[in-house]
Amino acid sequence: MNLSDDGESRIRGYLFMLESSLRTFLKRDVVADAVREVESHIRERVRDTQPMPNERDALNRLLDAIGPPHRLARAYSAELAADEAVSSGRLWQTARAVFALALNTTEGFAVGVALLCGYLLAASCLLVALAKPIFPDNVGIRWVNGEFRGAGWELFLEPGTVVTHGWWVMAVCAVVGSLLLWLTHRGTRRYLRRVSERRLRAAFGH
Amino acid sequence: MTVSTDSWTEQMRRGGLELAILLAVAPGTRYGLEIIRHLQELTDLVVTEGTIYPILGRLTRDGWLQAEWQASAAHPRKYYRLTSQGRRRLRLMVDEWRTFAAKIDRLVDAADKGATHEPL
Repeated sequence: MNLSDDGESRIRGYLFMLESSLRTFLKRDVVADAVREVESHIRERVRDTQPMPNERDALNRLLDAIGPPHRLARAYSAELAADEAVSSGRLWQTARAVFALALNTTEGFAVGVALLCGYLLAASCLLVALAKPIFPDNVGIRWVNGEFRGAGWELFLEPGTVVTHGWWVMAVCAVVGSLLLWLTHRGTRRYLRRVSERRLRAAFGH
Repeated sequence: MTVSTDSWTEQMRRGGLELAILLAVAPGTRYGLEIIRHLQELTDLVVTEGTIYPILGRLTRDGWLQAEWQASAAHPRKYYRLTSQGRRRLRLMVDEWRTFAAKIDRLVDAADKGATHEPL
């Protein structure tokens, strides 16, 4: 079947959508290779299809057989992103892999939410520690008329507030924040390694 | 067929798909669409055509397949072939598959023999 300009545009649109979706999860060279392979598949299918009066329907059937671009992209991401993150250990690829798994599986979503909480808590603690040298009077344990009001960093203090133990709070937050960050990141990498190993075990039936 | 049986069949097909792909390229090099056609001729394992390519990509990254682009008359094609590591893995997978299938067959036979009502 020879395609009209409309047909060509349809295929280019599909490939553009696929490329855009894949770029969310994968490296540029992997994306280029995947898109080239899917294009090769489509071109060959088009070539083998008998000319039909309704080109649009024929093309729709052909693209339906491959699946929507976002679903195909998700399949690629689930297959490759976890392995990439485990082997490289880079923060961006790790985040991308967790995001991809969170979109694909219920377990991935639950783990993703837990990890996000861990990272946010660690970042909050570190932020309090970093704030102490910049706002020395706003970080510490807060008391109003001898009554405990809270601990941490408060930018706008109510009148009569006394802040004590600021440097201790900074030290504790720095240690707890670093520990939380280390534990959460370790947990993330362990989870991705488990996903990767589980997939390999499933392939061998062990 | 009930919804849960459909899901079970789907899981079984997905599990077998990786082995089926490796078996399809075992005799020699094949490109994606050729693998799909081969599977469609002999089985009905392929759910959507797009399923194959991400798996082929991963099997290549795992070192079980080697991929190479080759120019053809119409358009370039990406050909896959088993690596020596892939061949060793495939042998292992086939052994596991046969052992597992034999065990299930024995269970089916035993269930048939012991059936008090109609056989399975």
